[in-house]
Amino acid sequence: MDSFKKRISLTGRGTSSLVIDGLCDQASEGGQAVAWLYCDYLAQQEQAIANMLGAILKQVVGRGDLSKDIWEAFQKAKMVGGRRPLLADLMRMLRIAIDSLPQVFICIDALDEYLPKELPVLLKSLRDIVRGSPMTRIFLTGRPHVEEAVRRYFTKVVVIPVSPSQDDIVNYLEMRRERDDEPGAMDNELWADIVKIILEKMSDMCVGAFGVSALSTMLTKDYM
Amino acid sequence: MAQTTNAHRIKLGDSNTDCGNINDSFNTTVYNSGDAEIMRWLSPLDPGDRHNSVRAARHEGVGDWLLETTEFRDWMGGEGGADEAVLFCSGNPGVGKTHLR
Repeated sequence: MDSFKKRISLTGRGTSSLVIDGLCDQASEGGQAVAWLYCDYLAQQEQAIANMLGAILKQVVGRGDLSKDIWEAFQKAKMVGGRRPLLADLMRMLRIAIDSLPQVFICIDALDEYLPKELPVLLKSLRDIVRGSPMTRIFLTGRPHVEEAVRRYFTKVVVIPVSPSQDDIVNYLEMRRERDDEPGAMDNELWADIVKIILEKMSDMCVGAFGVSALSTMLTKDYM
Repeated sequence: MAQTTNAHRIKLGDSNTDCGNINDSFNTTVYNSGDAEIMRWLSPLDPGDRHNSVRAARHEGVGDWLLETTEFRDWMGGEGGADEAVLFCSGNPGVGKTHLR
């Protein structure tokens, strides 16, 4: 696992979007479906459990086929004032949709930003999905404290700890340099000094607490 | 929208316009009208929009190797069944969620 810690350079949304794209590339050839969710503190009210599972279901069926089951449930709901599907309804429809495919990948980003009181329900629902369809794969990202909650429902979860590597910090700096709207103001000597100082500063910091956010702040306020 | 007698699956049209239903050669009804309404009924969330904005800002090439690791490939293959269904990337805030991608 140490090799992971040295090499993995990004987490959260960067990692999730990378994995989602990688899975989508494969799924387009193999007939699998990929569903994803980005949790967000600022959108917690919209991220009630039924909306989350409904969004997974939308993506699973959105690849082409809408089951008769869903259509009938929708028609029935319309007849009673358009009431929303309950968790149990969604789980039943999801099960049918997943079972109709060779494999489904579910990616959930920033689990720590999900509604704390509903996190156990979300994890239990994911466990029920996996137990019903063992080929289903779940990819999660989040802060370390969420691991305990995840492990409560998935005892054999594979955990990959992540932290920024020096190489990726340098790559990031290069990317920022390329976007500099005044490139003439920078020479190689000054650039080498900037990289050196930032790497020193980064190594002095608790990378886990500040990391690339702090790096971005330094670039913006102090060095460029 | 209408329901066919022998179709167990309903083909989801890619248009959200009110253009009615079309029977294809397999006698499966292609539903165009109301698809978007059903999708909204299932959930108001649209993770596709968010993903597009995140991936557009991702730093090219960073982290690509992750997809080639044994751990990722084993997880993706699904051989571990329900017991090994979950892969969790754990990291503190600021290690790249927003800026390094």
